[in-house]
Amino acid sequence: MKRLTLILALVALVAAGAMAADKTTLKFLYYIDATQAGYAEDQAMWQKFQAANPDIDLQIEILFSQAYHQKLSAYISAGQVPDVVYMWPTSRDSSALLHDQRLVADLRQVLPADFLKNFSAQALDVTQQTDKRLAELPQSFTFTTTVYANVGLLKSLGLKVPKTYADLKAMVPKLKAKGIQTLALPDGDKWPAQSCLFSTISGRLAGDEFIDAVKAGKAKFTDKAFVDALAFYSKLYADGVIDKADVSMGYGDGPGLFASGKAAFIVDGDWRVGAYVTDKSTGKALIDPAKQASDFELINFPAIPGEKNHNSASAIAGVGLGINKDLTGAKLEAAKKLLMFYYGKEFQTMKWETGAFVPTRTDLTPKGLEPLMVKLPLYYKTVAKTTYVLDGALDPTVFNPLNDGLQGIGLGTQTPAQVADIMQKAQDAVLAKK
Amino acid sequence: MVLPLRNKAETSRAYWAFVTPAFVLYLLVFAFPIVLSVVLSLSNYNGGKMFGGEPWTIVGFQQFEKLAGDPNFWLALKNNLYIVLISVFGQIPLGFLLAYLIYRKIVKWGEGWQAILYIPAIISVIVLGIMWKLVFASNGLLADMMNGMETNAFTAALNHVLAGGFNVTDDFVRQLVSIADPKALQTFANPIPDLKDLILTGGYDAAHLDIFRHDMVNLLAPKWTPDFLSQQDVAMIPIMFVTLWCWTGMYLILFHANMQKIDSQIIEAARIDGATEFQVMKNIIVPNLSGVIANAAILCIAGSLNTFALIWAMTEGGPMNVTQVLAIYMYQNAFIGAPNFPLANAVSLSIVAFSFVLIGVTLFIERKMGGKVE
Repeated sequence: MKRLTLILALVALVAAGAMAADKTTLKFLYYIDATQAGYAEDQAMWQKFQAANPDIDLQIEILFSQAYHQKLSAYISAGQVPDVVYMWPTSRDSSALLHDQRLVADLRQVLPADFLKNFSAQALDVTQQTDKRLAELPQSFTFTTTVYANVGLLKSLGLKVPKTYADLKAMVPKLKAKGIQTLALPDGDKWPAQSCLFSTISGRLAGDEFIDAVKAGKAKFTDKAFVDALAFYSKLYADGVIDKADVSMGYGDGPGLFASGKAAFIVDGDWRVGAYVTDKSTGKALIDPAKQASDFELINFPAIPGEKNHNSASAIAGVGLGINKDLTGAKLEAAKKLLMFYYGKEFQTMKWETGAFVPTRTDLTPKGLEPLMVKLPLYYKTVAKTTYVLDGALDPTVFNPLNDGLQGIGLGTQTPAQVADIMQKAQDAVLAKK
Repeated sequence: MVLPLRNKAETSRAYWAFVTPAFVLYLLVFAFPIVLSVVLSLSNYNGGKMFGGEPWTIVGFQQFEKLAGDPNFWLALKNNLYIVLISVFGQIPLGFLLAYLIYRKIVKWGEGWQAILYIPAIISVIVLGIMWKLVFASNGLLADMMNGMETNAFTAALNHVLAGGFNVTDDFVRQLVSIADPKALQTFANPIPDLKDLILTGGYDAAHLDIFRHDMVNLLAPKWTPDFLSQQDVAMIPIMFVTLWCWTGMYLILFHANMQKIDSQIIEAARIDGATEFQVMKNIIVPNLSGVIANAAILCIAGSLNTFALIWAMTEGGPMNVTQVLAIYMYQNAFIGAPNFPLANAVSLSIVAFSFVLIGVTLFIERKMGGKVE
């Protein structure tokens, strides 16, 4: 009997080993905020994928914010790029190396043309990506400047949604008297001021053609147009529109501050809508759906004196998944399967319905969208023109000093001219390398 | 029965047989990364597979030149030196003095004091960093306390103005402007007419002066903000304070443990001969502990140049890099923004080089003073 048990155990072990050997292991580095609405639904989808594909051993590693970039940078430096990776279309943090060294495949050569035709032209526009290939398939087209307005609060104080900067500035004393911040911009993480506000200011006052000219060495950041944009940013603090304390406020602290009525406006990316809508796993929302409908609007930044691109806002192709360029055979097939599942109707509809983003997939019919999600595409329609997001258009050695400089301007320790000068020196070094 | 080794060759073979495994392990774990770090700092390697990936070559001292020309590097080094100074000239003397007070029973409940002072050293520095960040934040505990005082002072002045009645005349508004913070008035293009208009259209009346008082405090009272935390050098003060608070207890324990090894009869004899407590400390305790003090200084220097977690949790090196130290500078170059691995390795080698220099200086001073490292 003992011998029989031993033989059966050995057979089971060998069978299990053989089954494991048949499985294709897929390492997937994924990015999602576990505290945001839609996290539970997202995880349920991956479980569904695993159940439907028993031949794939999906090893999914989830990280968020800087922890993600640090881990991916470490993987890249160790020569262990994950099989499937969440990435940015531009040289943002860890994605810079993926683009520079072409560590991911061109998805135009991997995904079937029939599948790609379901996506908007903006998503398939490779000029939006640093290496001018479809390194990742943008899941959304991101408006990095979105002003969230608490119109209910404004109404209660007899104020209206501002159309011009003068309107915005005029409401500062009234809001301040009630202990309410006018425009919140939590910039402790350095990138929000550049990505969510200054890119739009630069687009309005200097324009994309100016940035292109600087990159070609035909204009300088020290030219009047760009210094004026920095000076306007400085004015926001001098006029009390933005509170100096925001410079050191963590990015994650913004939604709570705004939802609790401590700021009349917050400038953020469109992706932040997900922070306010109902988390279906808990049934809780930072802003109740009824209030979203009645008291909150998504608007563009008001008209800036001297702007040449009226009602423009910074926008860029969104994040998405990329595939390690070295994959072949069964691994490549498994990775393709994963991408087609993620970009499939069911997954993308879920993402839209849970407030994560408005997908670039064009054949979706979401149901039960919360008011802020419904208002998002309406906001996009009000934007007359999209302009560069500077961390997507400039070299990291140039936009990093800008991120630092915007903090310096906010704190009053640097002047617009000084920041422009530092940026130009960095740009000169980039041009010299070329 | 143990057989003696037969000849020198056999002794040598036995020696290598025992030493080789540990030596190989040492080379792999310690020496190889150091050599690799040197190679990378001299290369143009930019991530990916080291062999079989993008080609890379040795390009010389480019990264070190880049470091020398980067003001952020020198700022980080200066901030590191502040940490070294507060550690060597703060933690060690204070730890020594507290240990002496407890050892000589000059203070009561010595064991209790030891425990209290050592507690910060056993709590995660990340937790401590976050806790102190909340204290020094622009809307944190310190700012709340300071603003509480500002509010009280302004409210008293406002009550004095209101004692004359709530009549929104030019004179009344002029009095409000006179007690207001000049910075707060910057939100108005023309303070007197604008403020008057705001009061007249704000629905304020004499029956609800509490609302008026509340709003005027928000609008016109001086606001204390910890601006010093954004100024170079000054921004390091809270970090130095927390560093001192955090690690002094560790040196207290180290010195106290070693003081207990000193023969108490020597101290008793000195006291009977009329030596004061200060003379006992200076002529008996310090010379006996000179080696321990030198070792503590070496630990302090090495730890200070490596400091990362506490500052990262408190400020992440910001705002505007004013609290950046070398380890954060290295980390940001390796993992944030546009990763530059050769530069990050050059920074790490610089940290090692500075450590050697400072430790060398410490040992030199210690030898000059006649002590010896234990």
